[in-house]
Amino acid sequence: MSSTMSDAPTTGTLEVTDEVQISETERQLVLNMGPQHPSTHGVLRVVLTLEGETIIKTDPIIGYLHRGVEKIGETRRYSQFTPWTDRTDYLAAPLNNLGYIMAVEKLCGIMAPERAQYWRVIMGELSRIASHLVWLGTHALDIGALSMSLYCFREREMILDIFEKFCGARLTTNMMEIGGFSRPNPDGIVAMIEDFLTIFPERQQEYVDLLSANPIWLARTRGVGIIEPQDAIDWSLTGACLRGSGVNYDIRKAQPYLIYDRIDFEVPLGTHGDVYDRYLVRMEEMRQALRIIRQCLDQVPTDGPLMLNDSNYVIPPHDTVLRTAEDMQRHFVWVIKGFDAPKGEVYMAIEHSKGELGHYIVSDGSPVPYRLRIRTPDFVNLQVLPHMARGSMLADVVALIGTIDIVLGSVDR
Amino acid sequence: MAEDPTRKQGETPPEAMAGPAKSTSPGPKDDPQAPADNQTAWADASPAGQVSEAADRDDTEARAALELAEAARVPVVEPAHDQTGLAIIDPGWVHTGYWGPLDDSRHPAIIALRRAFGDAIEEVTFFRDEVTVRVSTPPLADIVTFLRDHDALRYRLLSDLTAVDMLRLRTTPRFDVVVTVYSISNRQRLRLKTGLLDGQTCPSLTGVHSGAGWLEREAFDMFGIIFDGHTDLRRMLLAEDWDEGHPLRKDYPIRGYKQYVQPGFESPTPRVRDYGRT
Repeated sequence: MSSTMSDAPTTGTLEVTDEVQISETERQLVLNMGPQHPSTHGVLRVVLTLEGETIIKTDPIIGYLHRGVEKIGETRRYSQFTPWTDRTDYLAAPLNNLGYIMAVEKLCGIMAPERAQYWRVIMGELSRIASHLVWLGTHALDIGALSMSLYCFREREMILDIFEKFCGARLTTNMMEIGGFSRPNPDGIVAMIEDFLTIFPERQQEYVDLLSANPIWLARTRGVGIIEPQDAIDWSLTGACLRGSGVNYDIRKAQPYLIYDRIDFEVPLGTHGDVYDRYLVRMEEMRQALRIIRQCLDQVPTDGPLMLNDSNYVIPPHDTVLRTAEDMQRHFVWVIKGFDAPKGEVYMAIEHSKGELGHYIVSDGSPVPYRLRIRTPDFVNLQVLPHMARGSMLADVVALIGTIDIVLGSVDR
Repeated sequence: MAEDPTRKQGETPPEAMAGPAKSTSPGPKDDPQAPADNQTAWADASPAGQVSEAADRDDTEARAALELAEAARVPVVEPAHDQTGLAIIDPGWVHTGYWGPLDDSRHPAIIALRRAFGDAIEEVTFFRDEVTVRVSTPPLADIVTFLRDHDALRYRLLSDLTAVDMLRLRTTPRFDVVVTVYSISNRQRLRLKTGLLDGQTCPSLTGVHSGAGWLEREAFDMFGIIFDGHTDLRRMLLAEDWDEGHPLRKDYPIRGYKQYVQPGFESPTPRVRDYGRT
């Protein structure tokens, strides 16, 4: 009963920290992984209880990036909080903008003009591709395909260039406003997106050539981390983690928002529920995103308002602010005081690249939300990690963390 | 058709609910342009087979099931688009593709809940396209189980669980625990709210949905709400030795209670307003 772990392996950041139980036949040891481990995609710490190389228990410890975004939201006016949504999931900032803005618009009972809705879909789908590219690059990097990350970030640069052209920022875009877009579309933005739509399919074929028939990739992903469909629902999974298990729940189809009901696209579903199926689902989602963007570019009106003309909730257009006294006063009041949102509570869910992103706003009728709850998809998805990891090998943990697709800024908020 | 153990048939079914549900009889003919698969999703959920089986067994039960099926066949709301760019302040906020009854006497989930739980269903409110059901605290887990296991309703996905500190909006009870459940096959979202006094425990939903585990831990971390039956109620986002209370409470100062010494400054300027606590 009194043996020590002096001969325990200590490599890199994987350190033996404690030893909980030693018997004649089995020895469990607690292994601390992270929070500065390269495969945890940020500051995630996982405390693993091992028996040999088999995982008995997994305890993800989060909160290293907790900034109290929800508390901050209770002190900011509705229009002031939009930049904070960029910082929750910083890899898909336009989608976060969209989720929050749509929640506020739902609360106020307003709807963006049709042209702005199309552009929101275009930017949201580009953001989904960018988020999936980072996921694919880092996921493959964890498993051992180093070159994938270089290729993926190369294509992500094109999307970030489009964002920069469109709104001036690359990462934390703060792209959308309550009521639409406040800036006119820059010249040449359509050509940039067309360019991307032309180039990306063959680039994606390169990823497929690199990975889909790669024996190492198949060995590390097939049959690993299987989630049964009923378990996926039980664990409240959403997004590709749920659809990889074959459950058909995509909010773009289930409760269509914006103009998604006019777009023809498919929802890919997995059959086995393992890491490889979730990879296939996300790859297909990128192809479907291209289809959506293609149709949006064909359907979007070339002129028309990008911003709702509403005197209560929407910032007045810039040119009339400079020309008319009424709009200048409205602009002043809107910026200094904010607007009184209707009393009530709304929960607005959109299909984020990682799952269901829900914003729950309780309004007491003041310019500041009384309670602002952000239901981030990866926070809820991450809690399935102990369920997936139980009984699997230590080396699979990096594949399992990667397949959930977490961003710690979004998990910790 | 398996009987739900949580359904209390002994409770008297409220007659008021049965009347309008039968008289209005909304059908697909109300809206000929309704998307077909919207209809089938909810129509499959309406217990048509259940009716015929139940009719052999019990007359009252069959009538109840019929009413439920009747109420489940709801009209589809056509999406309203604003082409001109002018504001439409629609009280119903007709969401693109949203459909469902904004009437608690016709909402199938509320009819079923009222029949099964009676007085535990305290209040039903509608705002925009959303339904909020205020329920009493003790049967919360039973209600969520009922909604999960019901053959027609099938609210099987726990969408969200959080809390709201109602300190500045009302005197008592202090907290609201908000549970959002979603039915994948019916495309319906339902929000349950229950009021909690400060210090009162809430029944844990971890036995119903495994996904409630972290959400309840977060609610405990942020609000200090104890979930009765949760096996692993630790700090979630804050440090495990956090000793400054629960930050999303309304009486928690925005920058925390403590004053921290800034490196490089001899005497720290107080950055925290005094909220009656040193």
